[in-house]
Amino acid sequence: MWEFAARSLDAATVFTIAALGELIGQRSGILNVGIEGVMLFGATLGFIVAKNTGDYLLGFVAAIAIGGLIAALHGFLSITLGGDQVVNGMGIWILGFGLTAYIGYSYTGPLGMERLPDVAGLSPFFFLAIGLVILTWWVFSKTSLGLQIRSAGENPSVTEVSGINVTRTRYLSVVVSGMLMGLAGAIYSLDYNPVWSVNFLLGWGFIALALVFFSLWNPFILLGGSILFGTLWQFSLNPQLILPSVLSRYIWRTVPFIITIAVLVLMSTKWFSSRWGAAKPEALGLPRKDE
Amino acid sequence: MPIHLVKHGDTVLEARGITKRFPGVIANDRIDFEIRAGEIHAILGENGAGKTTLMKILFGLLQPDEGGIYVQGEKVTFRSPLDAIDLGVGMVHQNRKLIAAHTVIENIILGHPRAGKIPDLGRTRDEIAELCDRYGFKIDFKAKVWQLSEGEKQAVEILKALYRGARILILDEPTSALAPPETEKLLASIRIMTRDDLALVPFITHKLPVVLNISDRVTVLRRGQVTARLRTREATENSLAKEMVGREVIFRLEHVEVERGRPILHVDNLSALNDKGLPALKGVSFSVHEGEILGIAGVSGNGQQVLAEVLAGLRKAEAGRVLMDGIDITLTGSLQRWKNGMGYIPSDRIDVGSIGDYSLMDNVLMNYHFDGAFSRWGIVDSKKTRKLTEELISEYAIATPGPDSTAKSLSGGNLQKLILARVLSRKPRLIIANLPTQGLDVGATEFVQNKLLEAKRQHAAILLISEDLDEVLSLSDRVAPIYEGEFMGILPVEQAGIEDIGAMMAGLNQPVQSGETR
Amino acid sequence: MKLGSYEVKLEKKAKVTGWEAATISLLAILIGLALVGLIFRQAGVNPLTGYRAMFSYGFLNEFGLPLTINRSIFILLCTCAFIIPMRAGLWNIGMAGQLYGGALGAFGVALAFGARESQNPTVAPGFLIALMMLGALLGGAVVGAIPGFLKGRFNTNEIVVTMMLNSIVFWLVAYMIKEGGPFMGGGGEGQGFTLSQSIRPPTALGGPFTIPLALGLAGLLYFMFAKATLGYQIKAFGLSPSAAKYAGISPQNVTLLVFILGGAIAGLAGYHYFAAVPGVSKIPLNYGDFGDLSFYGIICGLISMGNPLVAIPFALLFGGLTNGGRFVQGQLQLGYGIDYALLGILMITLVAFQYFYRNTVVWKKMEREQ
Repeated sequence: MWEFAARSLDAATVFTIAALGELIGQRSGILNVGIEGVMLFGATLGFIVAKNTGDYLLGFVAAIAIGGLIAALHGFLSITLGGDQVVNGMGIWILGFGLTAYIGYSYTGPLGMERLPDVAGLSPFFFLAIGLVILTWWVFSKTSLGLQIRSAGENPSVTEVSGINVTRTRYLSVVVSGMLMGLAGAIYSLDYNPVWSVNFLLGWGFIALALVFFSLWNPFILLGGSILFGTLWQFSLNPQLILPSVLSRYIWRTVPFIITIAVLVLMSTKWFSSRWGAAKPEALGLPRKDE
Repeated sequence: MPIHLVKHGDTVLEARGITKRFPGVIANDRIDFEIRAGEIHAILGENGAGKTTLMKILFGLLQPDEGGIYVQGEKVTFRSPLDAIDLGVGMVHQNRKLIAAHTVIENIILGHPRAGKIPDLGRTRDEIAELCDRYGFKIDFKAKVWQLSEGEKQAVEILKALYRGARILILDEPTSALAPPETEKLLASIRIMTRDDLALVPFITHKLPVVLNISDRVTVLRRGQVTARLRTREATENSLAKEMVGREVIFRLEHVEVERGRPILHVDNLSALNDKGLPALKGVSFSVHEGEILGIAGVSGNGQQVLAEVLAGLRKAEAGRVLMDGIDITLTGSLQRWKNGMGYIPSDRIDVGSIGDYSLMDNVLMNYHFDGAFSRWGIVDSKKTRKLTEELISEYAIATPGPDSTAKSLSGGNLQKLILARVLSRKPRLIIANLPTQGLDVGATEFVQNKLLEAKRQHAAILLISEDLDEVLSLSDRVAPIYEGEFMGILPVEQAGIEDIGAMMAGLNQPVQSGETR
Repeated sequence: MKLGSYEVKLEKKAKVTGWEAATISLLAILIGLALVGLIFRQAGVNPLTGYRAMFSYGFLNEFGLPLTINRSIFILLCTCAFIIPMRAGLWNIGMAGQLYGGALGAFGVALAFGARESQNPTVAPGFLIALMMLGALLGGAVVGAIPGFLKGRFNTNEIVVTMMLNSIVFWLVAYMIKEGGPFMGGGGEGQGFTLSQSIRPPTALGGPFTIPLALGLAGLLYFMFAKATLGYQIKAFGLSPSAAKYAGISPQNVTLLVFILGGAIAGLAGYHYFAAVPGVSKIPLNYGDFGDLSFYGIICGLISMGNPLVAIPFALLFGGLTNGGRFVQGQLQLGYGIDYALLGILMITLVAFQYFYRNTVVWKKMEREQ
């Protein structure tokens, strides 16, 4: 039972870090629906580098770097070129999906390295995730930088007139968000489930996107939601723990996705949607209008 | 703070020969004026006179093609608003450049050079509190800006500029969104600021009484040029209006007498919520008869928009009933309402009233796509639509190459004409006109007002929502001031004095003592 | 920016003409192909050789061409499924789930009429074929209706919902065809049962009849958007939901309708490849690959700017490229998945080139120096 809980938290770790990245980007006003693509890059490149060099650290560094780079591309398309952010995000996702399928194919299979050490059965990254959540909360609520990022996401023209370079602020947020997404991807491929296969992230990037909406842009609620989803995911892989032999295992695999949809529908209820509307960064996903 | 200590009356900012050209128009033509410390210098002009351009130049959003700005005798170049702020020029915008979701303090310290990496909110709060006491502002610092009233929001913008060290405040239409009591408070605060040798430059379009009341000097702009420079005590409302428009101005339209018919619209105890889920309309009841115009007067944000949307079927009512010619339409959708003879002129002509990328023809179709004469067997009759569009373009004198131009290529006035044309061409029995002349120049405004009167002559029932009290009083047969979602009364226009209505718009039931403000 | 004696500037564009759009699109594809050429080079293959091989197999080879056409029709149908919600301003990335739903619908009908057990179905073959197609349309429509309904009624994000449904229906299909599920084919290799010869749909001009059907559908859609009232309403909603609402167009109805239509067409894509294409006639083991192929519908939809007729040549191009790519990767030892790499790079290039739909490059001869 503890193992089940531990694995749930390991899954939650990946969700948390990826979603935290998107949260940061979204608070600055940039919507990235292609989280899955960034994560795939981080996961695949991290896997490849680690396998080739035998060094986990290099793998993580590579993942963080590529994540930042791909997110910077998204930033370039959205901020500098001013394109539709949803279209750009779709592009990032398909780019990730397509390119990593090609690059990684010859690496299909297990990582084949000694597993990373754990802390009381839990992945060490879980504690990193908690630390990042607290750090993010602190930056946003207590520092000038946090205020600047939040302002860029609410009203870029007011922010610019107040003396802040919105473009630079947004690029910064987006690159940091990409680094986190890349890290999350690498945690998945190097720690959580170190076996590469095509599209092995199974839609976790989209679940992370749903999590950000669900979290009302609050890092702590995000953490809670991730833990919930991690648990759900583990359950869908091992339904026999609670409901032995009820349905085919394939049917169980659909549960987390169905729950995600259900959560999104719940979010439309009056109670939730008015809070959601209030918490949403007002300029999220919108192009900069010239004065 | 770079402005050296000034004495009352010193010239702190001078504009010399400011000229700015845009393709096809000279927005500012050799404009000169002086701003002195401790003075309130009003800049008066209609929409299109070049006020906005001049304001943007003064604040650093635009650079002049010729001429320059001199701060305390030295020529300066504002490459961006930041340069202006650094030299002590602050701006208070008409549409509130604040971040609604943030608190008052957060808005004030955003981007402030002294805020540091981790701002000391306590000290900032104390410093702002001091400024508030000094100038008579009363604001809850912990409140989020969206929760504040218009007057309070304006105070926050003023505080933000002052906290950044502004000694010269440019105010864009400072009283247009305020109810009379809030205007009083603002003017009182402004007077205190002048005693501290701050200079204030309000840019104003039509609140002439305010100009006369508060300013020391006035500069009038017309078509990009300065047409008059006056000491305020030497000016009258009429002389100012004449300088603004260039001709004698008739303040009131001819009142049109039409026999009142039966009630077409009857509203019974109607309540509705706004987008934030808060009650915006609290149990209003009224009727509008054939051949009459009922004018709803109110400062924006008091429920008029919600009322319009509920009547148009674009928003659900929480309680109450809406009856059109005796039939309960409370639960009917918009489409059915249009088919039943209701016409709605929305306040937002760009995002609601029209589809920018669609041609004029397709925009006209917005009111006709459900009409069997224009859409047969599921196919649009383009020929018929084109013909109608051409007729409307000619009848309403819409300046455009033709029915295939896009709606976004039209100017504001012409777009409004198109929307009016499209709605009125269906000869609706009930017209809801929501801010129909907002943002239009004098010519277009007159056109729209006359069209509404024409509809009235044809016995339509008209509900007019307007923020311009003069417009409401000159067009309506009955006036209903609205305040916080409730009607403060429904009066025949003969009994509606401007001060009384103004007071009711501000929530005061008692009529204001006449003679106090003029 | 200065180039020689010319000054190059970027100016916002008011409108894009058809020719301009076509030029930009073609340029985007060429740049995308050039970038993939870098991958060729990295694998030690001359890009020109590689492309020549791809094109010749895809379009000139007697075995490759029919395969290409079958793929292209599949992509075209997925494109139409993407385009309809796109014109309404909505994102349908659930073509994969919808086509799986269509396949389930079609094969479910076949199962109901005994096609799994015996070679001779219980009703007239022509009738059964028609019913199967109906089943496909319905299956896809049901899967599509879910995001459409949820978006219209609850404003739930359709990107996440369609993506979730892709996974959900994927696993449902797995359940159906593997480990003793109802659709499992003989031999238990984890694929669906095979349709007997009699209920395979007829061919037209040597290819499955779904070819003319798809082309006709594209034409019909084009006509709908150009002339029909419904097309006007959908476009209006896509351009400005608030103005459309004011015009009396119901956001809920439009949203639901476009997703139902899109889903149904994607369902037809499933029928096309799994039931109509000769040599398949079942839900194959690698059905997931077709879900992946459906994403080309997104690229095709974007590049044709929502015009179903313009989509036809692009669908043909992509069909040939992916087909040729798969063939050639083995031959030239490029490494598996070159068609995936193509997908990724073409998509991002296209997305980047969207910039040029909004801004023109203006060349101005510089005035003489001061």
